[in-house]
Parts: sequence; C-alpha cells; structure tokens
Amino acid sequence: MVRIKHRYLLVNILYPEPPKPQSTARAPLQVPDLVSIHQPTSDDLTPQLLVKAIRDQILLMYGDYGSGVTTTGLLVKYLSAATSTAIVRCARANYQVVWAALTYMTHLPRLPGGEKLQPCVMQVVRVSGTIRKAEEEVIRRGRAAILKARRASRNEGATGLDVALGPAKEGMLSEQLLGDEGLERGVEDDEEDDDDDDDDDEEDQEAMDEND
Amino acid sequence: MFYDLNIPYTTNHAELQRTLAFVAELGYNTIAISVNLSGKLPTDLTSPIPSPLPFSIPPSLHILTRCTLTLSDPSQNHRLTSLTSIYDLVAIRPTSEKTLQQTCLSLPTIDIISLDCTIRYPFYFRQSTLLAAIDRGVRFEICYAQGILGAGEARRNLISNATQLVRATRGKGIVLSSEAQRALACRGPWDVVNLGIGWGLGKERAVEAVQREARGVVVGAEMRRRSYRGVVDVVYGGEKPVVEEKGKGKNLGGKGKEMVGKGGKRKAGDSVDAAEVVVDEAEKPPSKRELKRRAAKARKAVATENAGGPDNAVEESTTTKENDDVAMANSKDQG
Repeated sequence: MVRIKHRYLLVNILYPEPPKPQSTARAPLQVPDLVSIHQPTSDDLTPQLLVKAIRDQILLMYGDYGSGVTTTGLLVKYLSAATSTAIVRCARANYQVVWAALTYMTHLPRLPGGEKLQPCVMQVVRVSGTIRKAEEEVIRRGRAAILKARRASRNEGATGLDVALGPAKEGMLSEQLLGDEGLERGVEDDEEDDDDDDDDDEEDQEAMDEND
Repeated sequence: MFYDLNIPYTTNHAELQRTLAFVAELGYNTIAISVNLSGKLPTDLTSPIPSPLPFSIPPSLHILTRCTLTLSDPSQNHRLTSLTSIYDLVAIRPTSEKTLQQTCLSLPTIDIISLDCTIRYPFYFRQSTLLAAIDRGVRFEICYAQGILGAGEARRNLISNATQLVRATRGKGIVLSSEAQRALACRGPWDVVNLGIGWGLGKERAVEAVQREARGVVVGAEMRRRSYRGVVDVVYGGEKPVVEEKGKGKNLGGKGKEMVGKGGKRKAGDSVDAAEVVVDEAEKPPSKRELKRRAAKARKAVATENAGGPDNAVEESTTTKENDDVAMANSKDQG
C-alpha cells in the first residue's frame, strides 16, 4: 500500500533579544548569551497555537494557494517548552513552503496571558523523513547544548547557571555520548530512509504493554 | 563554513555583541561587520570599527571589516584603493542603471556589488553586464533581512529583485547575507539556503551562496591585498633562522663552536677552549682577522672530525664481529 509521505522539521525556537530586566527584589541570574538565546518558552504556547501561527504565516506569504497545498498533514508532533524545541510534520511535496514560512516568522503567536508579542527566531535544524531520526536529533542536541552551556558559563564566570542546572555530575554527560560531530552537523534530508517508523514504534510499545 | 558578509556596525556595542553571539549560535563561522558610506568621502577615512572589538566575541567566529559605498554619481571619483587598504572587503551599492553598469564593467578593486533590494528598479538587469562583473570576480549580494522584518512593499520588492538577479546571472556568483540591523532579522544558514531555493536558485547554487561563493569573496579580497599581483602568495615559507644568524653574525667563532659541540665525541679540553673563547668574545669584539682565523680553525676541526668517523665505524664492526664469534661459540657449546 502506498503511504502518504511526510517530512518532519525539527525547529528550535531562539530568542535573539535579551530578556527585559524585571523589577523583582531578587537580582537577575547572570547567564551567558548562549543560555538566554536558548531560554525556555512560555508554557502557554500549545501545539494548536503554533500550528495556527504557521498557517497564518503561510497564508500571509503564499496566499490561499500555498495555504491550500500545505494544509493537509500540517501538524505539530512534539513541542517542548522547556527546551524550546518542536517537531513539525508537513507534506513532503511542499515542505519548503512550510520551512520558508517558519523562517519568515518573527515572533511567537499571541499567548493567552501575554499582552505583548515575544520576538523569536524559528531555526529549522533538521529535515527528516522519519520522526525517529528527528527525535534522535533532539536528544543529541539537548546533550550537546547542556555541555556547551556549562562550558560557556565556566568561561564567562557566570554563576547563575550552576544554580539552575545544579552541580555537574561526573559521567552523566560526556563528550563521547555526543558522537564525533557535535552540533555542527546542520540540516540534511534522509531521502533514502523514508520509512514511517513511528507507527512501528507504537506497535512495539503496545506489544510491550501486553507482555507486562 | 558559513559566511554572513553583512552585519551593519552600530555604536551600541551591547547590541552588536548580542548580535554576534546570536549569529555564532546560528552556525556562522565568518562574518563581516559593515560600515555604510555615501556621497563624498571624508578626507579622514579611518574605520570607525574599533580593533579589536571592545567586548568578548564567540571563539568560533572569524570577524572581518567591510564598507558599503553607495554610488549615485558615476562621474564622482572615489578613492577605492585607499578603502581597500582600510577594510577587508569593499562593497558597492549602485543606485541607477548607469552606476550599475559602471560598477560592473570598470570599477577596480571591489569585491561585492550589493544592490538595495527593497526598492524597485525601473530597468531590467542585463545579463551581459552582470556576467561581465562575475567574470572579473565580483559577486552579487542579496540581503534578506529587509524581507523578514520589512513591510509588505519591501518584502515584495526584495523577492522581485532577487528573482530578477537570479534570472540575469543564472544563479552564478550570488552571495546571500543578512544586513540585519537587529539580531532578530538573522536567520540560520540552512534557513537562508531554503529562502534562496524559494527565489529560484537551484539547491546547489543556494548552498554555494552561503559557503563557496562567499568564501571566494573573502579569499579573493585577501589575495588582492597580500599577494604578488593577486596571483602568487607564499602561504608557508618554512622557518626562517633570522634570529640565530643575527646572534652568530657578530662572530663566526660562535658558529664554529656550535659545530664543535654538535660533533659529540670531543675531548674535554676542546669544550673548555670553546667556553673560554665565548667568554673572550663577551669582553670585546674580535677583529676581522681573528674571525677568519677562527673560521679556518673550525673548518679544520670539522674536517678532522669527519675523517675520524670511519675509524669509529671500523671499531664498531670489529666489536660486533667479536660478539658474533662469542654467540657462535655459545651455540656450539649448546650443540
């Protein structure tokens, strides 16, 4: 049977502008630029809001036609507010349209509690034919980001990060876990590796549950 | 390696530092901080960009300086060669068909032609003109930031001009860069590649626009400044023993002494002599005659040393022979 082919875009939400100094009694934590660029997103951002924002942007950039050809299959499969990461699924034929729309976005959608639009940059860091590869990339990048943040905070002498992350545990994160390439791998297509593995994974999960 | 060859300079250093940190985080390796010049150039052409920058920059980032000169009058005489000596890259921004033609065909020592893509040009880009510029090694730049932060009009013009440039150059010799006034307008290199694909660049050409073509601009500019006629450059000429020769240039005796030292198997008396010689030299510089004599002596010493070499070898061979005999005797005993 012919399956509907998708592309999975792994998106990082980055915050290029420094956070506004809040007038609280506590002194603001001193964190390196690296960490404030990757700061967590508000919990109010839901997958539905994000999909709607993407749809609106496609409508703005590509009009009714672009909106029409991309609307089937457009879905946010995964959204982690803590790491500001999302996996967006879209149809394979028009993934570049969705990608360009993400690139043209300049701020988060209006959140229920927020009165101002928060500027952000959506960076697509991986285009994958299967959700499994995208998930593996999320984990790899998460590990690398923690290591990098630790290094940056050590270099800049910022203490705020140790408060946030806790003291480093030996052996929990090592360079070997990351593979040889670190973060520099960038975006690539898994053209040949086009199986939709997430279905299989779910089946495996169900089988395990039955065994239990 | 990814290149973003247009980050405008601001005197607000905190913001510039933030922008650089963000650009490094997006994955760029080389960026150029750009200064805009227009009209008549001032007599004092010094770069306003402090060197080195007064804040910490990400270690992975390589930073260049660049000036963008807006050209509105074709008859105006610009001191381009003096700009080349101050900035790493020189970009020209023509505003009319006439200046564009002049820039493409005749202006020397420029690296980039950076058309302002947010305005509408009342003429077609002519393929022959643009290709002539590309043949000279000049690249065309499309700045995408106005298309992201700008209003609808600017964005439409940007897309229109970008597609026209791609049509006229057939996608060759195009560099994509940001010209981002704020960090918010910067996008990751692969996102820019995707934008380029949307503007009609082929996939390969779009990747080249942030990698190979941009690198060509940087390397070409460096070659023009540093090398012999922009063609021949010494990348690594080997170690130059300048310092050593200066130390010995005062007296050749020192050189002879070193050779004696290198010989290894010298009598103890010789080394003492050499040490005395050094002490003498420290007291007063020897005459030319004395130097010549010492040089001759040193040569002689080396010659005798070389002559002594084979004797040692013979000795060694005899000893090994003896050892062999002993070994044979041992084996006979065992047998």
